Amino acid sequence: MEILTQYLINALFSAIPAVGFAMVFNVPRSALIFCAFGGAIGYSTRFALMEFNVPIELATFLASTLVGIVALYWSRKYIVPRPVYTIASIIPLLPGTYAFTAIINLLQMNAQGVSPELITMFIDNGLKAVIILSAIGFGLALPSLFLMRYNRPII
Amino acid sequence: MNNLNYEEQTKVTRAIIKAAVLMLEFGAESKLIEETAQRLGSALGVDSVEVSLIPSAIVLSTLSNNQTQSVTTTRRAHHKPINMSIVCDVQKMCIDVEKYKKDVDYVFETIKNIQPNQYNRWLVVFMVGLSCASFAYLYGADLNGFLITFLASSVAMYVRHELAIRKYVLIISFGITAFIATLIASISQIYNLSATPNVVMTASVILLAPGFPFVNSVLDAVKGYLSMGWGRWMQALLLSVATSIGIILAFALLSMKGW
Repeated sequence: MEILTQYLINALFSAIPAVGFAMVFNVPRSALIFCAFGGAIGYSTRFALMEFNVPIELATFLASTLVGIVALYWSRKYIVPRPVYTIASIIPLLPGTYAFTAIINLLQMNAQGVSPELITMFIDNGLKAVIILSAIGFGLALPSLFLMRYNRPII
Repeated sequence: MNNLNYEEQTKVTRAIIKAAVLMLEFGAESKLIEETAQRLGSALGVDSVEVSLIPSAIVLSTLSNNQTQSVTTTRRAHHKPINMSIVCDVQKMCIDVEKYKKDVDYVFETIKNIQPNQYNRWLVVFMVGLSCASFAYLYGADLNGFLITFLASSVAMYVRHELAIRKYVLIISFGITAFIATLIASISQIYNLSATPNVVMTASVILLAPGFPFVNSVLDAVKGYLSMGWGRWMQALLLSVATSIGIILAFALLSMKGW
């Protein structure tokens, strides 16, 4: 029961950023509710997978594939381009912290001199950021790449 | 077969490239731009549409009269803040043209009348503040951390809006926004208000993570638009660097070492 509550709270707190950033990207009003659901689905899936000791990269990939499939269904139903749903939905999964830390490490190396710790931190954070980003991109693209063999528009 | 004279075909070409440039400027992925241009073309009666995309411009040719008559045109695309409602409107117009057999004038008329769907400014500021605070919660901040993140990122979003209204370049406005967000978030460390100052500081700049160009760049690259992918990757990287410089400046001012 406690686990379920935890999941619900996490889902709620990941739906808020999806809607907030969807507003920054000026998503049409009718699509906002779907962005909220997409955000909750993406984050909860990754959270659940990571509970089962799946590494964060693979978990992100599977979660964003799921978001891609769901968004594909929505976009065919409501005739709206997929990125409208998908990009707001994967906002909670983005490795923003890793990316900023990596670049700050790089600038610190310039200012304070190169040290093994800084290099380790830079490579750790930079690799995480790049791999998670590619995982997100591939995951989102996979469902539409799968349909591309018919050579006709998806919506 | 289709028999367009040269003037008609030029008009059709202008209509198609107008729609394509609008989509590129407001952040649609390349596949969607090319697809929409081709669908509009066949709906408006040309044989085929060939599109070449680079990050800053579009080159577009239409062929008609059994591929013997060709019109080519180029437009520069100035990148603007991402706006999905405009992309949706262009897409909707393309589908309308296909379904109801509209003509070129309808395309010009619709594009002229496209208005971005504006959300209330204060609502956006509030929602973005709440979003970053939610990130802080997800990363494990306490209540004080939650509130400080909310404050820092709301003010940052307000500043970002103000700079956008004054039409500053995106790189400058990202740097200044990151600087201000970090300054406000750092009160959690200076006055020991929160047990998790690191989380507060990372979460309050997350509103500047350029997710859209990054994801678009991967989507473009895997669908075969390699140069567009690189261009968008570079754009996103520059924005991240600008954000980091803003954060570093704030650290230097407060003489702190890092996260």
